Amino acid sequence: MPVIEMLSKTGEPQRIGKLELTPMNQVLKIQFPGDHGGLIWNRPKAVVVRSDDGQEQILPVTDVTRVAIWAMLAGGILGAIIMGLTFRRRQPETEE
Amino acid sequence: MSDEMKANPEEETGLGEAGLEVFRDTVEEFLAAADVRVVYGEPIQHDDTLIIPAAEVLCGMGFGLGSGSGTSTDKDAEKPNRGSGSGGGGGGRILSRAVAVVVASPEGVRVEPVIDLTKIALAGLTAMGFMVGMMFRMNSHRHGIPRIEE
Repeated sequence: MPVIEMLSKTGEPQRIGKLELTPMNQVLKIQFPGDHGGLIWNRPKAVVVRSDDGQEQILPVTDVTRVAIWAMLAGGILGAIIMGLTFRRRQPETEE
Repeated sequence: MSDEMKANPEEETGLGEAGLEVFRDTVEEFLAAADVRVVYGEPIQHDDTLIIPAAEVLCGMGFGLGSGSGTSTDKDAEKPNRGSGSGGGGGGRILSRAVAVVVASPEGVRVEPVIDLTKIALAGLTAMGFMVGMMFRMNSHRHGIPRIEE
């Protein structure tokens, strides 16, 4: 059975002026049995911004390209399904 | 399996172990792709502004190893009557794509997305393809040749 792991990691904090930035990433790790290979999907998750006065803000890193691609593909498949269903409903009328 | 084949298992396992060790090292290097430093690039300082590029990394690999030995029934004295061998193979791929840029300035911190218009356009065309394909299918059903009733 492949081992599937989902991890969140934080990187080295970077300081600029009064702010401290800590990058965070998310890793999906799939390891094939017997150490015979695997798959790693590593992507940025968020940036934690800490100010000297103690305020903390989490800025999510959104992958706009991926969101747009999935939205378009989902729209295309959904559109095709709706068209197919509409056609099936109309089919008896045309046969008469 | 003959006794001769079993006679030298250490030699075979030695070869296999050496190969496996190489592959284990490769897997360890591969697992290093899960590090944060792989995703976030080196920060670029420009006056008061700090820019950190961020990318997503997808990598996959796989390999296989095998070994075997056998004996020959040939009674030629010049030729060795037994032999063994081992082999392995593998492959992998790393894909990397810029996702966003973190811009930190005295005014504040913002995350600017990196939009890949080519990929979006390709996805749009694929979606259009689904729709057009379905329309053609519907039309071909509608204007198809009617069945001949006996």
